[in-house]
Amino acid sequence: MTALEQWLQQATRSLAKEPAAQVRCEIQEHYESARETARADGVSEQDAERKAIAALGDAKAANCEYRKVLLTRAEARLLREGNWEARMVCHRPGFKPFLLLLVAAALLGAAVFYRDGVGATAQVLLVAGIVLGVLFGAPFLPIYTPSRSRVYRYVKWTMLLGMFALIFGRDAWKWSWLLVSCLWPVFWVEWRRMSIRRKLRVADWPKQLYL
Amino acid sequence: MNFKGTLPTLILEALAHEPSHGYRIAQRIKERSRGVLDFKEGTLYPALHKLESEGLVESYEGVENGRTRRYYRITKSGKGTLAKDRAEWRELSQAVTMILGEA
Repeated sequence: MTALEQWLQQATRSLAKEPAAQVRCEIQEHYESARETARADGVSEQDAERKAIAALGDAKAANCEYRKVLLTRAEARLLREGNWEARMVCHRPGFKPFLLLLVAAALLGAAVFYRDGVGATAQVLLVAGIVLGVLFGAPFLPIYTPSRSRVYRYVKWTMLLGMFALIFGRDAWKWSWLLVSCLWPVFWVEWRRMSIRRKLRVADWPKQLYL
Repeated sequence: MNFKGTLPTLILEALAHEPSHGYRIAQRIKERSRGVLDFKEGTLYPALHKLESEGLVESYEGVENGRTRRYYRITKSGKGTLAKDRAEWRELSQAVTMILGEA
């Protein structure tokens, strides 16, 4: 294995396939230019190669910098597979109306319970209806710009936490371990999506990044 | 000399005159600083990718000496950022010179 190949392997470690290929290509071009310049200055072939590799610096440091700006394998996988909820809804023709009916049923239930004087249940159903409406209504809302989608996400998370606080009332803090242990995959995915949003140009954002 | 925080500005400055590829950008920065700003060239490309994702530079494929290379050019938004960075740098360097010049 050549010194350049070793450098590239370390520098592209855990990067997604496409960015890794791009890094390989541009570093190889850079290396060739540096080597040719050194050769033109009268440096021997071996020394020119050594000098070109030394000029690139530490491959681990470069990898660290690359992972901050290019998609990693895990992030690329999330983009490919992370949209399973939307796919599930879209692939089953009757599922979308069912979810919207669920929202309507929750809101109707809230109205009925209010009328019958069961305030606590009505409150929970009302909040659940609104939260489900915000979650399932997203595809129909005009949220597909960075600023609007940011507002949507703030509203979504505030509502989810608000619903939790409303359901558990004064015990919300005591039961927060339940929320964290049940929802950590959701938090983890959201954390990854934040990282992907920073790395991709807005023009390249798939719809799931707006949600 | 460590100048990590200023590398994006130096890249924008290098691209302000003409589009260029990574190797030439690195050489231009080193030559214009007379070798004072000597950085590891492997860190240049992550900075270029970041500038590209922020819309400050854009890349395209070009041919030099029969070899296909990725060229970068500054965008309108990049020119605006460069002008702002330049003004901030002048202000900062004047302030530091005022303090250190007194010593």
